[in-house]
Amino acid sequence: MLTPKNNIIIGIIIALLVVASYNVDANPIEFVEGLPNLAIVVEEMLLVEPKYVPTAIWAMFETIQMAFIGTIVGFVIALPLSMLSARNLNSKYVYGPVRALLAAIRTFPSILWAILFVIMVGLGPFAGVLAIIMYTIGFVSKLQYEAIETIDSDPMDAVGSIGVSKWQLIRYVVIPESASHLLSHLLYMFDYNIRQTSILGLVGAGGIGFYIINYIKFFEYGKAAVFMLVVLVSVLIIDWVSVKIRDKYIIKSQHGMEVTTK
Amino acid sequence: MKQIQMRKSSTTSLISTKKIIQMNNVWASYDSKNFVLEGINLSIDRGTNYAIIGQSGSGKSTLLKLMNGMMIPSKGTIKIDYVSPDMNNKKFKNMMHTIGYIPQSLGLVKNISVLENTLLGALPRLSKIQSLFKKFPEHEIKEAKRILNLVGLSGKEDRKIYMLSGGEKRRVAIARALMQKPTILLADEIVSELDNVTAHEIMDLITDAQKRTNLTAIMVHHDMKLALEYANRVAVIKKGQKILELGVEGETIVDFQTGDVTTEEIMEMYDANSKK
Repeated sequence: MLTPKNNIIIGIIIALLVVASYNVDANPIEFVEGLPNLAIVVEEMLLVEPKYVPTAIWAMFETIQMAFIGTIVGFVIALPLSMLSARNLNSKYVYGPVRALLAAIRTFPSILWAILFVIMVGLGPFAGVLAIIMYTIGFVSKLQYEAIETIDSDPMDAVGSIGVSKWQLIRYVVIPESASHLLSHLLYMFDYNIRQTSILGLVGAGGIGFYIINYIKFFEYGKAAVFMLVVLVSVLIIDWVSVKIRDKYIIKSQHGMEVTTK
Repeated sequence: MKQIQMRKSSTTSLISTKKIIQMNNVWASYDSKNFVLEGINLSIDRGTNYAIIGQSGSGKSTLLKLMNGMMIPSKGTIKIDYVSPDMNNKKFKNMMHTIGYIPQSLGLVKNISVLENTLLGALPRLSKIQSLFKKFPEHEIKEAKRILNLVGLSGKEDRKIYMLSGGEKRRVAIARALMQKPTILLADEIVSELDNVTAHEIMDLITDAQKRTNLTAIMVHHDMKLALEYANRVAVIKKGQKILELGVEGETIVDFQTGDVTTEEIMEMYDANSKK
């Protein structure tokens, strides 16, 4: 509702938008004037060179493998860290420092981790895998400890009151109760990591992005388009598979019913 | 339905065994300002079927939480088998597995099977390695199946909790508690929300187990009629205070001790519950 108070808030937001746009040289006129340049690129991209499809598929396969290793290893490391970060399982002396560490890991985007690992282990997919692992640890552990903190406290109270150890409580109550969330995070992260791994090649950390950036650098948009199309199709397929897995294992366990998918 | 007659007599104990639960002037609070229990005195004999009744917010559930160490009293002393129920007390920690606790929401793990939920009661008996690999010994699995048969869930061992009816879920919670081989069973409004027939089936089940194993069952209800039908003793809690305690023998109330309540009020309370 447009109350005087809301009007002031909207006014402030618009003013900040204008000031920030000025500061970063965001100019809509330049955008409109630049549109013909995009048309040139699109036109060149339409000259797709199909003979590069096998190379693109192989590069995408490498990207998926990098994302797979990064997601699984990151997830396995993130799981115990998230258990240590959950406020309903630990004292503040435990979750405080672990959360600080995870926040520090999250500070860097994956591309910065990739640059760091390229310096450490050299150019190639391994640097990309390490970057994905680090990013997954920081991100998934946060999603997980937030999910763990929202699980129903009654099963924990009921089982906790029979004198089981904290380890048993985690193994037999916390993990099963949050399993659907954990699986959901795993799928989401894999999906996300494939997109991320596709661009890590920009800094020489392997994957399909390495080809895309190089073809674009040499203005070979038709070749770059082949690789970009393969990324698009792969992401759509993975998205479709993860929706199927989500319906079968996650929605059912959260709502206690079978979901029929067409 | 049984007809309960009231006969005032001396406060003799029905089962003359040693006291398993003793509460002396217990006060409890969740925020250290407002007290949910005020000066509760309770003395429960081993093997008693003890009912605690009272309206919502009277402090009944808090009493159970004090008995299994999930909550510490602000004032007063509690002894469970002569041990203070405090999770930091090693002696109490070692006897926690003998106290079965069924919260009002049952506390079942919904993503695992009926058998797995039942086996949770055996966790304190598992070694670290067995726990890690989820390897329950064959005799524990056999015992869980025997208990599930006893509570009427034979053939449903592999079902997930979300596939069960309200009555069946309660049976799983009872099976998990019995799997602990408990000496005390604490159940919080386990038959509320159930139809009359199912409620009686569940109560019969617990009473049978209680008699067979000389279990001390402490059950919170809000229905006086149900409490009088099954319990040996009934305590009535009102606004954090015990206002009445009845001893029931067969169909007769053999003794009663009152707090700040008149005989007329007791009868009114009973009538009000009978009309439900």
